[in-house]
Amino acid sequence: MENKNPISPHIQVYEWHISSLVSISHRITGVINILFITLICFWVGSLFFGETEYELIQKILLSSFGKFLIISIIWSFSFQILSEIRHLFWDMGYGFDLKVSKITGLIVILGSFLITIMVYLLGKHII
Amino acid sequence: MVQISLPKNSKVQKGKYYKDKTGSKNIRKVNVYRWDPSSGENPRIDTYEVDMDNCPSKVLDVLNKIKNEIDPSLAYRRSCAHGVCGSCAMNMDGKNGLACTKAHSEIKGEINIYPLPHLKVLKDLIGDLNTLYKQYASVEPWLKTSKKNDNVENIQSINDRSKLDGLYECIMCACCSTSCPSYWWNGDKYLGPAVLLQAYRWIMDSRDEDRKERLKKVADELKLYRCHTIMNCTNSCPKGLNPAKAIAEIKKMLVTV
Repeated sequence: MENKNPISPHIQVYEWHISSLVSISHRITGVINILFITLICFWVGSLFFGETEYELIQKILLSSFGKFLIISIIWSFSFQILSEIRHLFWDMGYGFDLKVSKITGLIVILGSFLITIMVYLLGKHII
Repeated sequence: MVQISLPKNSKVQKGKYYKDKTGSKNIRKVNVYRWDPSSGENPRIDTYEVDMDNCPSKVLDVLNKIKNEIDPSLAYRRSCAHGVCGSCAMNMDGKNGLACTKAHSEIKGEINIYPLPHLKVLKDLIGDLNTLYKQYASVEPWLKTSKKNDNVENIQSINDRSKLDGLYECIMCACCSTSCPSYWWNGDKYLGPAVLLQAYRWIMDSRDEDRKERLKKVADELKLYRCHTIMNCTNSCPKGLNPAKAIAEIKKMLVTV
């Protein structure tokens, strides 16, 4: 009897807030980072197999796809770090005020892009 | 389990369209979630054209107008109409709140009204809150004390009393719990913001002598730590309370006390 009742719409109708957006992105970047760290391990590991293997990966990373990959890594790491700092403050009991959490959420989003751009410029020796 | 899409029997269909009969020039379209348990059909969205010239300011007034003047079959909970009882909690314009305190002028465009998210629908805008009430009972929301003399006041200092501010005002309308994605997908195990705020209210009460037991009981991977600080609860609370902070304080107490 009870199972016949429908479930009311949830994620289909619920409005996104900055806080929920940052929260889900925090999870997604967390998973992506694990994959990326594995990739970096393979990269470092390839050193042990000699020059040819290392050069192969070097080639992949220097292609435009590889560059896109590296920039994504930098973004997802910066996002994760900033968001984690926000979580640490929360764990201490600070920053739960609606306005404050909105501002810190915005800082996380904008900051992650800012750091990505800065790292890119540093790598290019522009600054 | 995380289930993004709705099950087959919950897919929402297009419903009836009720054209305005008053000839008013100030018309607003109101889309309301409808489900009739006796029909055996899927839920649907009915659209009503409502004459706003003769309608008071709140969303509940719009619903009352629909029920009184257009379609008496519409079912929803309501009682006090002053934001005290928590009966008319529903999802309006994608956000949970009390229909009696939400002004329809705050909503741009068409007014979309759904029941509280991810509940078993009983009829139209009425969701089944039994699980939440059972969870509420599980935190034993009453004063536990060994004091036996009932003729003497159980005195609390002003400072201790002030610790309950922002907690005792909760009216258990379930706006927060049903706005929480963690509660949507783990609602059978995770207690949810409303119940955890209540748990914290009794943990913080200086007269209560069961604090350690209460903390021990709530310290559970699923009951408490499914809170990932998404903050939807605090965003939706119609009384301006902060369940997310209450949950964080419980977590903090568990590592410090």
